[in-house]
Amino acid sequence: MSGFLRLLLNRLGISLIVLVGVSMLIFAIARIIPGDPARIALGPNANAEQIAKLRAEMHLDASLPVQYGHFVVDVLRGDLGTSLYTNRPVTQDIAQFLPATLELVFLAGFIMVAVGLPLGILAAHYRGRWQDHLVRVIALLTVSAPAFVWAVILMLLFAFYLPLFPIAGRISDIYDIERTTGFLTIDTLLAGNWTAFGSAVHHLILPAIALSLSGIGQAARLTRANMVETYDKPYIEMAQAYGFFPSRIARSYAFKPSLIPSLTIIGLDFAAMLGNAFLVEAVFAWPGLSRYGVAVILRKDLNAIMGTVLIIAITFLIVNIIVDLMIAFLNPRIRYSTRGTS
Amino acid sequence: MSLLHIKDLRLGFKTLAGQVDVLHGIDLDIAAGEKIALVGESGSGKSVTARIVLGLLQETRTARINGTVQFDGQDINSMSARDRATLRGTEMSIIFQDPTSSLNPMFTIGNQFTEVLRRRDPKLSKADSHVRATTLLDEVAIPDPARVLRAYPFQLSGGMNQRVMIAMALANKPKLLLADEPGTALDVSVQAQTLTLMRDMVVQNGTSVLFISHNLGVVREFADRIYVIYRGNIVEDGPTDALFANPQHAYTRALMSAVPRITGVGIPEVPEVSDDFLAPRISHGDAL
Ligand SMILES: Nc1ncnc2c1ncn2[C@@H]1O[C@H](COP(=O)(O)OP(=O)(O)O)[C@@H](O)[C@H]1O
Ligand SMILES: [Mg+2]
Repeated sequence: MSGFLRLLLNRLGISLIVLVGVSMLIFAIARIIPGDPARIALGPNANAEQIAKLRAEMHLDASLPVQYGHFVVDVLRGDLGTSLYTNRPVTQDIAQFLPATLELVFLAGFIMVAVGLPLGILAAHYRGRWQDHLVRVIALLTVSAPAFVWAVILMLLFAFYLPLFPIAGRISDIYDIERTTGFLTIDTLLAGNWTAFGSAVHHLILPAIALSLSGIGQAARLTRANMVETYDKPYIEMAQAYGFFPSRIARSYAFKPSLIPSLTIIGLDFAAMLGNAFLVEAVFAWPGLSRYGVAVILRKDLNAIMGTVLIIAITFLIVNIIVDLMIAFLNPRIRYSTRGTS
Repeated sequence: MSLLHIKDLRLGFKTLAGQVDVLHGIDLDIAAGEKIALVGESGSGKSVTARIVLGLLQETRTARINGTVQFDGQDINSMSARDRATLRGTEMSIIFQDPTSSLNPMFTIGNQFTEVLRRRDPKLSKADSHVRATTLLDEVAIPDPARVLRAYPFQLSGGMNQRVMIAMALANKPKLLLADEPGTALDVSVQAQTLTLMRDMVVQNGTSVLFISHNLGVVREFADRIYVIYRGNIVEDGPTDALFANPQHAYTRALMSAVPRITGVGIPEVPEVSDDFLAPRISHGDAL
C-alpha cells in the first residue's frame, strides 16, 4: 500500500472518530438549551395533548442515549429530520443554504492564498528592506480587526459612500436562475447567462474580501517567517555556492519547504472562515448556512441546529484532510516516513 | 602561475557600532593541483575567506572587501556578480560541514545531481544526467547507485551523503575545491574514511584544494602545504612536513599540542591565549 493511501485511510479514520465526538457534543448541547422544543415548535396555542404527541414523535421522552441512538440511525439514513422553523427536511435546507456559504468561503480562501503567500514571499525576499516593512504593516492592519468589523467597514466604504459594490444579497433580483448546484457562479454559467454571472461575482467580492483579510495577514506573516528561516538553512547556502539562479533558489529551494508549515495554518484559517462567515453573512444579508444557523439556534430548532453543526464539522474535516494530503504530497519526509537505504 | 592568488585580502563588516575588521591582509597561494590547508580556531576567518573566493560574501551588503583575489588569472573582487556566479559550481565548488543538511530535503539525490550537472551543461537531459551521476557515484564507491539516486538525503546515512557530496563537488571537474571543515559533523571513523576518499579523488582529478579545518591533525595527511590563521592574520605557513617538523610560531605550537589527532566534533582547546600568538608571520618557504 502506498504511503499516500495509508495516510488517507489514517486521516479518514481519525475524522470518523472526531465526527462521532462532535455528534455527541452537539447532541448534548442541543438538549441542554433551556425550553421545550416541542412547545416552541407548536407555538403558544398548542394543547398538552398535541405537545405530548410531538414529544413522542421526536423521541424527547426517551433517555438521552436512546435519543442519541435514534439521531445516529437517522443521520446514517441521510435523514436529519424536519426543521421546526422552515417545516422542511433539514437536508433540503442545508442543500439550499450551504452552497452560498461555500461559495463565499472558497473565494475568501482563494484570496487569502493568492494575496497572502506572495506578500510573504516578497517580504522574505526583501527581508529588512522597505518592502518587508510595508508587508508587516499591512499584515498587522488586517489581523487587527475581526472579519465582521471589516465587513461593516468595507460595506460602508465601498457599498454605501462609494457605491461600487452591491450592499447585500447574492445576485440582483432581476435574474431568475435555475438552481442546479446552488453555487450561483456555476449555475449562471450553466445557464449561459454572462451578465448574471457578473452580478453574482460582483455580490461576492466585498463579503469575500472581508472574510479573507485576517487570513491574508496571517498567511503573509507566516510565509515570511518560514521563508526567512529556510534561507538560513545550509542547503540554501549550498545552492548559492553552486551558482544556482536566485529566482530558482527562491522558488524551489526556499519557498517549497516554507509552504509546508504555512499550509497547516492556512487550512485552519480556512476552517475558521466557516465560523467567521456567521457574522459576515449577517452584515451582508447573505442567504447562507451561517445565517440559517443563527436563525435556527435562536428558535431552538433542534434538528436544524444539529444538522447545521454536523455539516460544518464535516466540511472542516474534509478541508483538513485535503490540507494533510497536500502537505504529504509536498513533503517527501512524510511520503517516505521510513529510512530506505543507508 | 598559481590557480588562486590572494594578496593583502582585508574584510570588515559594517555594524551599528562601526566597522568590525575580520581579515587583516591575508596572503595565500594555491598552485594547480596543490592541496592547501587553512587551519585556525573557530572565528579566525576561515569560512569568510572561502566565501570571498566563491564570490558569495561580495553579495552581502554589510561586507567591506579589499585586496586581490585572483582565480585562474581573473580578479574575483572586480567581476560582476553574474560572472562570479558563472564560476561557482563549474570552475570551483565547495563541500560543507554537514553533508546531510547541505543536501536539499525536498529533492532526490538524482534531481540534485541533474541540477549540478546542468551548471556545466544546461541542456543535459534527465536520462543523460542519470547515466553520468551513476558513473560518478560509482567512482566514490557507492554500491547500488541507482537506488541512491532515487533516495532523499534523509534516507541515507551521513557517510553516504558525504560520498554523494564529494561526487557532486567534483562532478563538473572544477579547478578548485573548497572544503569547509568537511564531515566534522560525522563520526570519527566515517570522517577519516571520506577524507581519504576525497584525497584520492582530487589527486586523480588534479583538482586544487583549499581545505579548511580547526584541527591540524586532520590536515596532516591531506595537505601539501598549510597556512595557520589566527584572528584574521596568517601567522605561519609552509610545507606540511616542514611545519610539523619545526613549528616556529607560538600559536602553531599551541594548536599542535592541543589536538594531535582527528576528533569528531568540537573545537580544539588552545591551552592559553598569549601575546606571542600575535607575533609576526613566519614562512617556511616552498620546499623543505
Ligand atoms: N555576515 C557577517 N556579519 C558579521 N560578522 C560576520 C559575518 N560572517 C562572519 N562574521 C564574523 O567573522 C569572523 C570569522 O568568521 P568565520 O570565517 O565564520 O570563522 P571560522 O574561522 O570559524 O570559519 C567571526 O568573528 C564572525 O563572527
Ligand atoms: Mg567556519
